[in-house]
Amino acid sequence: MNILQLLSFGDNGWGMALLKAAGMTVVLTLAALLVGAVFGSLVAAAKLSRKRTLRWLGDLYSILFRGIPELLIIYLFYFGGATVVSAVGHWFGAEGYIDMPPFLVGAIAVGLISGSYQAEVFRGAYLAVAKGELEAALAIGMPKALRIRRVLIPQILRYALPGLGNVMQMSLKDSALISVIGLVELMRASQVAAGSTRQYFTFYIVGGVIYLILTGLSGRLFHMAEARVRRTQRRNPGQS
Amino acid sequence: MNLQSPTALAVSNIQKSFGDAHVLKGISLDAHKGDVISILGASGSGKSTFLRCINLLETPDDGTISLDGETIEMKRHRDGRLLPGNARQVERMRSRLGMVFQSFNLWSHMTVLQNVIEGPLRVLKRPRAECIEEAEQLLHKVGLYDRRDYYPAHLSGGQQQRVAIARALAMNPQVMLFDEPTSALDPELVGEVLRVMRSLAEEGRTMLVVTHEMGFARHVSNRVVYMHGGVIDAQGTPGELFEGLPTERFRQFVSSHQQRNTD
Amino acid sequence: MIDFAFLADTLLKLLAALPTTLTLFFGSLVLGLALSLGIVTMRVSRWPFLSYPARFYIMLFRGTPLLVQMFLIYYGLGQFPAIRESFAWVVLRSPYGCAVVSLALCTAGYTAEIIRGGLQSVPHGQIEAGLAIGMSRWELLRRIIGPVTLRQALPAYSTEAILLVKSTALASLVTVWDVTGVAQQIIQRTYRTMEVFFCAALIYLVLNFLIVRAVAWLEHRLTPHLRERPSGPVVKAPASTATPS
Repeated sequence: MNILQLLSFGDNGWGMALLKAAGMTVVLTLAALLVGAVFGSLVAAAKLSRKRTLRWLGDLYSILFRGIPELLIIYLFYFGGATVVSAVGHWFGAEGYIDMPPFLVGAIAVGLISGSYQAEVFRGAYLAVAKGELEAALAIGMPKALRIRRVLIPQILRYALPGLGNVMQMSLKDSALISVIGLVELMRASQVAAGSTRQYFTFYIVGGVIYLILTGLSGRLFHMAEARVRRTQRRNPGQS
Repeated sequence: MNLQSPTALAVSNIQKSFGDAHVLKGISLDAHKGDVISILGASGSGKSTFLRCINLLETPDDGTISLDGETIEMKRHRDGRLLPGNARQVERMRSRLGMVFQSFNLWSHMTVLQNVIEGPLRVLKRPRAECIEEAEQLLHKVGLYDRRDYYPAHLSGGQQQRVAIARALAMNPQVMLFDEPTSALDPELVGEVLRVMRSLAEEGRTMLVVTHEMGFARHVSNRVVYMHGGVIDAQGTPGELFEGLPTERFRQFVSSHQQRNTD
Repeated sequence: MIDFAFLADTLLKLLAALPTTLTLFFGSLVLGLALSLGIVTMRVSRWPFLSYPARFYIMLFRGTPLLVQMFLIYYGLGQFPAIRESFAWVVLRSPYGCAVVSLALCTAGYTAEIIRGGLQSVPHGQIEAGLAIGMSRWELLRRIIGPVTLRQALPAYSTEAILLVKSTALASLVTVWDVTGVAQQIIQRTYRTMEVFFCAALIYLVLNFLIVRAVAWLEHRLTPHLRERPSGPVVKAPASTATPS
């Protein structure tokens, strides 16, 4: 079979399978980013806190999730999670070994990892926010909640966009590791297709190209978002 | 103008455009040995660009530059650009033209002493001990011997500029080019740099100085060139220019500057 | 309580695999660095026929997962008789060789961008000062551009080195018995995830710590100009005029 047949969308072709898997990759990545955003904000807040214990905990989180190989973290949640879940299940009378759903494991593992990088982005963005703008809000008597909502958060998002773009691309690539626990995302689909047709080169190239498209689109999206935000900011006199 | 001194630097018909802006419209200048020429002009008159064309930090669109009788080879490129023909020659010429920059441009990862010996050591390939000895003498001269192991980041602007002057002197240049040497300095630091420059002038160094310091132009230089709109509007001895006020533009220039700084 | 015997046994087994991880790391680090110098030279070149391929390379290796790259090299290249018969097969035949090549190619792409960032941050004025003194382009590169780029790029490069250590773990997926490979095997046999994870993670964390310290030491050596000024005039000593690298 030639390449076009291999990739076709018909019964014999892998085109559909790959596309669906690419969709799974995107969904998984978005789920992970959400998890990461939650944890990232918490860790960033911890690192910026005045309490030394909180700062220390934030640093610990960063050291762990930026320093331990992603694969090990995935194994931890997959096998470790299964052990915990099985134990709980036995307690309730279930039998045998209960698996952890790969999607959940993937979203949590990649999410926690992504969170450590997002924490750095949020922290940097927070520090970059012009103090002057917050002071101006203070001076006109804006209450704290409003200050946070109308001045701090928009500014943080503006400064965080480039960093978040990088994190998204990183998480897209990390999602490929979830293939090892059986989730049928893009990497796994490529692997299955390659193995079953013995056309390893072809399918890994195709998989690579699709990842390239995904990261490229993500980059373009963030670029546009950054330009949008910059445009609304530039109307402000005195802004760079 | 000392007619008996040999021509140290002869620059003829320098033209330079940046895109649509025709910044230099044919500037010619001869510097004889021992001349101290102040180049004055408003911002945008092209004076810095002109100076930077002399050592080819900017490439002129037309014109010739000769140092001590040797002309820099220029070749015309296919697309009309003028390019230096011989890279070795350019490097050699540059090593004989010392330049002092407005923003000092000391090498931040080297100490003061290392900055000063770098040229003689690496470009002129002189023995290290000799370079160090001479560098120390030059640092004494500019008053910074005590700081020779400091890094530029630890020095004030005036101190950095004096080191920059020592660095340029270390190459024993035939002509020294100063590109607004005091413009980036806090007012109280300007004096120390001007003092060093004055002593160099008194020694007989050939100097081309682009500056806003009227005092220097008036009392230290032996020739003043006033540029406006890419051409030389007036030139002559300080007396001819500052007392004679030969052109209307120069008169306006001087009066607007007198309102700003004192002599 | 805590099964120290198991922990100790696991740790020993993992440490036995440490040399593999280390050689994967150093091998790909050195190869990748050498390759990145070539790529960045092409990337900053004036000629499009050099800079565009370099751009493409960088985009390729930074835009796709390392796992895909590694599988492509390990499974994909072996398909072609042309490759199997070439001299490259000596390296590409073994999982270990494929892993090192793949890691090196990947890190080269990232490192090239780091170096490029460093190059762009060299203050233009210092380059002009070098030109004005008559330095040749080679001298300029060696004495000004190189040293300043190195100092600017070091912090980012230490991050890249850490990422490389973590990336070596992927070699376990192409049957290389590195620390992660052995760890996974122990977990699957004993189901004692927490303990094994703890030991393996510890090893990697110590490795990272050492790398961070090493780079910090290097940075400290190379940047006396960013530290506090010396107090008072310094007595001249020959060592102080040693020119920096």
